[in-house]
Amino acid sequence: MASRLPQETPVRSPALLAVRALAASRKKPGFVRRLPKRGRARHGVTIERDAVARYAALCGFADRMGVPLLYTQLLSFDLAMDWITSDDCPWPALGTVHLANRVVQLAPLAIGDRVDVLLQPGALFSHDKGQALNLDLRIERGGQTVWTATQTLLRIGAPATGEAWPGAVGTLPGLSRQAELDAPADTGRRYAAVSGDYNPIHLSALSARLFGFRRAIAHGMWTQARALSLLLPPGGVTAAEVAVDFKAPLLLPGRASLWSRRSAGGADFEVRDARGEKPHLRGQWRLLP
Amino acid sequence: MTESSIRRVAILGGNRIPFARSNTAYAKASNQQMLTATLQGLVDRFDLHGQRLGEVAAGAVMKHARDFNLVRESVLSTTLARETPAYDLQQACGTGLEAAILVANKIALGQIDAGIGGGVDTTSDAPIGVSEGLRAVLLDLSRAKTPAQRLAVLARLRPGMLMSLNLPRNGEPRTGLSMGEHAEQMAQHWGISREAQDELALKSHANLARAFDEGFFTDLMTPFQGLTRDNNLRPGLTLEQLQKLKPVFDRKVAPGQGTLTAGNSTPLTDGASAVLLASERWAAERNLAPLAYLTHSEVAAVDFFGENKEGLLMAPAYAVPRMLARAGLTLQDFDFYEIHEAFAAQVLCTLQAWQDKTFCKERLGLARPLGKIDPKKLNVTGSSLAAGHPFAATGGRIVATLAKLLAQKGSGRGLISICAAGGQGVVAIVER
Repeated sequence: MASRLPQETPVRSPALLAVRALAASRKKPGFVRRLPKRGRARHGVTIERDAVARYAALCGFADRMGVPLLYTQLLSFDLAMDWITSDDCPWPALGTVHLANRVVQLAPLAIGDRVDVLLQPGALFSHDKGQALNLDLRIERGGQTVWTATQTLLRIGAPATGEAWPGAVGTLPGLSRQAELDAPADTGRRYAAVSGDYNPIHLSALSARLFGFRRAIAHGMWTQARALSLLLPPGGVTAAEVAVDFKAPLLLPGRASLWSRRSAGGADFEVRDARGEKPHLRGQWRLLP
Repeated sequence: MTESSIRRVAILGGNRIPFARSNTAYAKASNQQMLTATLQGLVDRFDLHGQRLGEVAAGAVMKHARDFNLVRESVLSTTLARETPAYDLQQACGTGLEAAILVANKIALGQIDAGIGGGVDTTSDAPIGVSEGLRAVLLDLSRAKTPAQRLAVLARLRPGMLMSLNLPRNGEPRTGLSMGEHAEQMAQHWGISREAQDELALKSHANLARAFDEGFFTDLMTPFQGLTRDNNLRPGLTLEQLQKLKPVFDRKVAPGQGTLTAGNSTPLTDGASAVLLASERWAAERNLAPLAYLTHSEVAAVDFFGENKEGLLMAPAYAVPRMLARAGLTLQDFDFYEIHEAFAAQVLCTLQAWQDKTFCKERLGLARPLGKIDPKKLNVTGSSLAAGHPFAATGGRIVATLAKLLAQKGSGRGLISICAAGGQGVVAIVER
């Protein structure tokens, strides 16, 4: 498998990524039927104690929960950005939003683990608002797949091809208000610092306004992680699956509410606005055997 | 004293005023007013005017210092004979049932023939204490003999002393945690879900509403200050409404993981209740038909802050098996279960503990778990989640309710379980 992959994907600074993103915004695709097969890879990535600790503190995970299963996805951020800003991705980088995310952890990762991170463009879906596409992510440790994820992106306004997007999660009845979530003004900047995702829509009201948002918005993956920090068992999980659909953005600074229906082996959940009416994201997690 | 001299204790009836959420209908009513109205209602119903009863035992958890003789003063305000003795007792939320047990024991032993047990509480007309500093100054002032001494004492007064008043709080002195926080800890320990708690709360409201509609409480209640029903009752309550409520006791004990809300916990409540107990002979002489008989009781307490600590409100889980062993019964030998809903979590933790092998073996010392109960027999006319919970008045409400349920059924057996502050639990069996 690895032999089919191209050379090592370079790690770029946020500034260089920004330049590439702007350059890539001139792309003007026509009708895209399928994506080029070329993937991305980084080998021998170490799971660093400090990085995990900063992430865990920002998202609310206790030490006992181990390496949070969403943290792992940060290791693929450079690969995703490289792909999105390259000629392999037919659409501009700006104006692409995170529509849904599904993570399957098969075995827990530990501090100091050296892993290979792989990205492969996946299926195309047609969505009411544009073209949806999957990026399939995989983490291997010692040649064994320990973690996979599917990141579904939406290119708003693009003519769409593929099957109709079904959504990652259906409607979730019977949720109870569980907790209040505070998203302080610096949430976006702090998450950018741990994730490397310096998308201006997350950083400040001013930078967000350039891209059509009234205020900065929280990273969807932060909001999801914040919710999971209150939903996952305090001792962490071995094998588990989490899927979310991202809905309305959470403006910063902001206050949201977590709604859930928990069971021994998982939970349905929604992060809604403070009044509990409008969902920011809707998700499900469950233990895997 | 021989075994045969123990007499059966008949429950002849009960009375209560509708319960009112704190600072609503009874905001200006005192404990004495509420207890007097309740006792007078019972006296009227059973035509006890001018009669001398063996005793009236009752109590209040929240009490003013001036109410040292609350029950006797209340009796003197009724039309009972002024020669009826009375005393106050207090065992937190177990007060009302403990009062009934004490009166029943005297009847059983032949010391008295008839008596009333009850309780009253107000969290609206709550006692407020002055700060310790101000109290010391005031006491020294009363001890001062000369004007100079008085001036010296008064010079110690500081404005701050007036600001820091001692307000009563619903908390455990040994742990600094509120009752709700302890109940949340228990829910976390036993893995009791929010959904299960909300469902129990919904059932309590539905059952109480139906009981009111069927007129069940007509001969168990005296209207008071314009109220004819418990005003905490929400007849049209839906699960969706309960689901919208925020957890309220999680911050200190399980941040972000809370399961207890204002909907599945009892609110602070004002109210009073009383039950009339008598020997069978006393009842027969007056042509009064017993509703049922108070046959067994037990009180347990747990260590809730030591090394091998137990949940604060788990004492009934210990009291019931001890009582069952003495009565030669199993947990399943009952037609009705009246488990006081201090919190839905308390009821569900208790039921879960009785089914838990490890708990029953290691904590209760039983060879096998007590097992399940039929949920259809639990709190069939609602309980404290719907009615509210004026601490000392809950016992009397339950005894009268259960006795009437058994009278309606014709025969059978009911179990009462009431948890109380300080890690205590008062339980009893009512039979007919």
